[in-house]
Amino acid sequence: MATAVEVINLVKRYENNTVIPGLTISVRQGEIFALLGANGAGKTTTLECIEGIRSYHEGDIRVHGRIGVQLQSSSLLENITAIEAYKLFCLWNKSKIDKETLHSFGIMEFRNKQYRTLSTGQKRRLHLAIALINDPDIVILDEPTAGLDVEGRVSLHKEIRKIRDSGKTILMASHDMAEVESLCDRIAILKEGKLAFLGTADELTGSHFGESKISFRVRNQFPEIKLSYSKLDQSERNYFTVTTTEIADALYELLTLLKEMDNEVLDIKIEHASLEERFIEIAKEGR
Amino acid sequence: MKAFLYGVALQWKLDLRNKGILVTYYFVPLLFFLFIGTIFTSINPLAKDTLIQSMTIFAITMGAFLGTPIPLVELYSGDIRKAYQVGGIPLWTGAVNNFISAFVHLFISSLIIYVIAPLAFDAKVPENPYQYFGFLAIFLITCISIGGLLGLFVKSVSKLTMYSQILFLPSLMLSGIMFPADMLPKALEYAGYIFPATWALKILTSPNPEFLWFLPIILIFVATLTLGIYKLARIYRD
Repeated sequence: MATAVEVINLVKRYENNTVIPGLTISVRQGEIFALLGANGAGKTTTLECIEGIRSYHEGDIRVHGRIGVQLQSSSLLENITAIEAYKLFCLWNKSKIDKETLHSFGIMEFRNKQYRTLSTGQKRRLHLAIALINDPDIVILDEPTAGLDVEGRVSLHKEIRKIRDSGKTILMASHDMAEVESLCDRIAILKEGKLAFLGTADELTGSHFGESKISFRVRNQFPEIKLSYSKLDQSERNYFTVTTTEIADALYELLTLLKEMDNEVLDIKIEHASLEERFIEIAKEGR
Repeated sequence: MKAFLYGVALQWKLDLRNKGILVTYYFVPLLFFLFIGTIFTSINPLAKDTLIQSMTIFAITMGAFLGTPIPLVELYSGDIRKAYQVGGIPLWTGAVNNFISAFVHLFISSLIIYVIAPLAFDAKVPENPYQYFGFLAIFLITCISIGGLLGLFVKSVSKLTMYSQILFLPSLMLSGIMFPADMLPKALEYAGYIFPATWALKILTSPNPEFLWFLPIILIFVATLTLGIYKLARIYRD
């Protein structure tokens, strides 16, 4: 798949503090790519370097196409109306006012309201519409749903999916794990400016990374057994939990042993770590 | 060009919506003019000779020092700057639009004083209106460029209020627009010459102003313009 954005060995320092010591990531065309990380991990700095509003010390950034940007903390003059702001950005980008975008983003409903009176959701929608003015190939969204209520998030997620479905690439930073899980094709987790994980949400939460839990209920109690791939805990009389990083091997070993003991499994459940748990784990320790 | 002109017209409209700017461009200077006009002309009939000039200088100084920097601080110190950068709007347009808008507003304010003063207070109209407005425009441009410079350098509106007052109050008290400067102690009288308002009063009240009186105003304008361009270049670089 063709590449939309390439960040190669990016190094960014603030005075003597190196916040990004050599980051390499590439975003594929047409995907929604999320940058995750704790506060200060370097997400916004990386995005701002890509956007061209922040300089960097070493490395290279290649952007293959026009970009549209919605900033994390964006603002406009407080007494400008939504429609005036949209028109101003349109004129400077030599674009026509796209009434369809204004309608689909619901901007027509608040077009004559001044910026300071807009709700957070309305401001986000306005900034997203402005980001799309020059018909960008790549849309960069820095925490697009921060501060929004559930309704606002759902509505904005719908817009983000629509943007992706129109063939654009989306590169976003987020703190919201549910958002990332439901929207993004691939995730990069940054820790102290370094890449701590790169892959899909399934890969992040899947059995081949981190610990998974097998909870099961058996007909008969059994004596203490030693498992090679997992640790067994008894929660109640016939209820047990096995914690493992090797889910397939552990499951095979467990079922074989139970069969040998002629014990019947009445109920079994496998739980992988949630995205949030894995994120916290990686952000704390690295992988 | 269309985008630039729309930006200028929009800034003019936004200034009208901004209470802080309306107060400093229109309400306070015009109220002060009515108040001073009533009192001064009844106490001292000679005040009628310079009422238009002194009140216009007051209005321009107040508007330019206290009002003009406000939109610039909002634009260049906050997140609006980033929004402009990523949205393809050149940063210099903020300063230029604000300059043009302030010029138009303060010129209107000056015109109101020019029209009302003779009718309400029997104030003496300058002999040569073209010369008067020409010289006034030079003073106006210089004052707006000082205000613009404040807007580019100061990073918050609260700090701006302090710096603006530090410039505005001495300018008001030492320039001779409230009372003759020669009544002040000599040191303060000379200190008053660093303010464009002092020179503007000399120029606007004289039928034949000397060229040398313009030099300080022109020098101040050139210095503020140079510093302003330098600061804008730094904002771009940062």
